Amino acid sequence: MRYETVIGLEVHVELATESKIFCSCSAKFGGEQNDHVCPACCGMPGMLPIVNKHVVDLGMTAGMMLNCDINRTTTFDKKSYYYPDLPCSYQTTQLFSPVAVNGLVDIETSQGKRQIRIKQIHMEEDAGKLVHDDWSDTSLVDFNRTSVPLIEIVSQPDLHSAEEVIAYLERLRSLLRFARVSDCRMEQGSMRCDVNLSVRPEGSNVLGVRTEMKNMNSLSAIERAIEYETARHIDAIENGTEELVQETRRWDDLKGKSFSMRTKENAGDYRYFPDPNIMPVVIDDEWFDRIKATLPELPEVKKARYMTELGLGEYDAQQLCDSRALCDCFEQAYAVCGNAKEAANYLISDCMNMLNKAGLTADQLSINGESLGKLIKLVTEGTVSRPNAKKILAALFEQDIDPETYAKDNGFIVSNDTDLLKTVVKAVVASDPKTVADYKAGKEKVLMALFGRCMKELKGNCDPQTLREVLIEEVMNS
Amino acid sequence: MEKTTLISLEKLNQLRLTDEQRDSVLAFFDAQSGRLAELNAIDTESVERMVHVMPIMTVVRDDVEKKLFTRDELQKGAPETLDGYWQVPRLVD
Ligand SMILES: [Zn+2]
Repeated sequence: MRYETVIGLEVHVELATESKIFCSCSAKFGGEQNDHVCPACCGMPGMLPIVNKHVVDLGMTAGMMLNCDINRTTTFDKKSYYYPDLPCSYQTTQLFSPVAVNGLVDIETSQGKRQIRIKQIHMEEDAGKLVHDDWSDTSLVDFNRTSVPLIEIVSQPDLHSAEEVIAYLERLRSLLRFARVSDCRMEQGSMRCDVNLSVRPEGSNVLGVRTEMKNMNSLSAIERAIEYETARHIDAIENGTEELVQETRRWDDLKGKSFSMRTKENAGDYRYFPDPNIMPVVIDDEWFDRIKATLPELPEVKKARYMTELGLGEYDAQQLCDSRALCDCFEQAYAVCGNAKEAANYLISDCMNMLNKAGLTADQLSINGESLGKLIKLVTEGTVSRPNAKKILAALFEQDIDPETYAKDNGFIVSNDTDLLKTVVKAVVASDPKTVADYKAGKEKVLMALFGRCMKELKGNCDPQTLREVLIEEVMNS
Repeated sequence: MEKTTLISLEKLNQLRLTDEQRDSVLAFFDAQSGRLAELNAIDTESVERMVHVMPIMTVVRDDVEKKLFTRDELQKGAPETLDGYWQVPRLVD
């Protein structure tokens, strides 16, 4: 018998905000334990939460990027559970009127294109962190992550394979990073995934027993976990190796197995109810339109435009469209210099190299695109040589400078002074009669040594073609 | 309410009641459930769901980070701390 795997995903994404969802504490990753805390996020009696407006901005942005309907009145609810990483004994989340519902995400796999339906996107707070201390045999609580804003994106059970799940997650990551909703770094936990999976005979419309794996944070682990769980379910159905029960399982990536976890409270036990401390958030037309106007052009639309309108090759266009920061910088630079190919080259090779060396990602690029455009103009007009342009770019990477002023201050302007050029060439040629003789005897390659020495004397500030011509003339006449 | 339901609610709320306390809680809930039945009998089909009792909407703040408290201030009243952590009985997961 053939089987079909049915998968639904709940994806948690940490939002790119400065402060937490209900208080002004820092939402930044890291920091010393309990350094980003206040009475509100520690659940002290009498505290009152106030919603961070930017969380709603980003919730709406995510909803619009995933083709959802936005609930114009969105409300918060309390979800009760008792655990020390949650100081209020409830999580503030959205059940009855989440910010966005009924979306669609396009994915593409080796099987072709498909659309995955989104059930809803809700805004909520993250929980804290527990450290188990063996020495004192106690648990230690850090509330820095408590109340850091999240959205949870809940898909319909429309996915049928690990390949589709990976394609879906990559698509989410690309769209959310492009819209600056989140940096979606799985290794830092800013994107995590719960996988709900069941198996049924192909053609059946009854769902099988569903198991859930929580907090998966790498694509390769998700892929292995789905393959393992699918095989385990089929084995149980066909051979009766075990009785499948609805449960939460923990994926152990080292052992390559999933394990049953203590059964937790089921949904009814969360005793959801509207949070009376948080007023409903009403999204008026002005707010809705303002967010709509900030939505970026989709990466694939940009890529096509770069290829057809600006004449970039597919590879270059793809490299740029992997990151919103690269695209923005590219477009600003192009607006100034009008040379798409040069702008793409400087970004994809030189800037990416510098980012890699600094241990940064493309999204962390902070070069001013306008300054990059000015630099490219200096190069293409012949005012600055290419080797010196690299030095200016390195300075630009450190801080925003005006390339032309910097070039002048550091003696990087190509000289039109032919007298100086001739003097230098004469001196170099006179100092090395052996190389000159070798060249005259037909060893053409040795000219490069003389050329290099002249270039060095001139600090790179000359037109290479002119230098070459003057040098050959001088050698032949000497 | 059934006694078993009460016991499961106790577990969820980390409470332990004596049998005497249970009887009085159950009696209270029985009295309430009569009133709830009266409310449930009302036809609310065409009534819009009330979101909030107050006529105030959209109380939001700008996304500005401020450090208003130090860790030491917050942990003054804590029964146990260790290296800046709150310390609680060990949890087995
Ligand atoms: Zn706080």
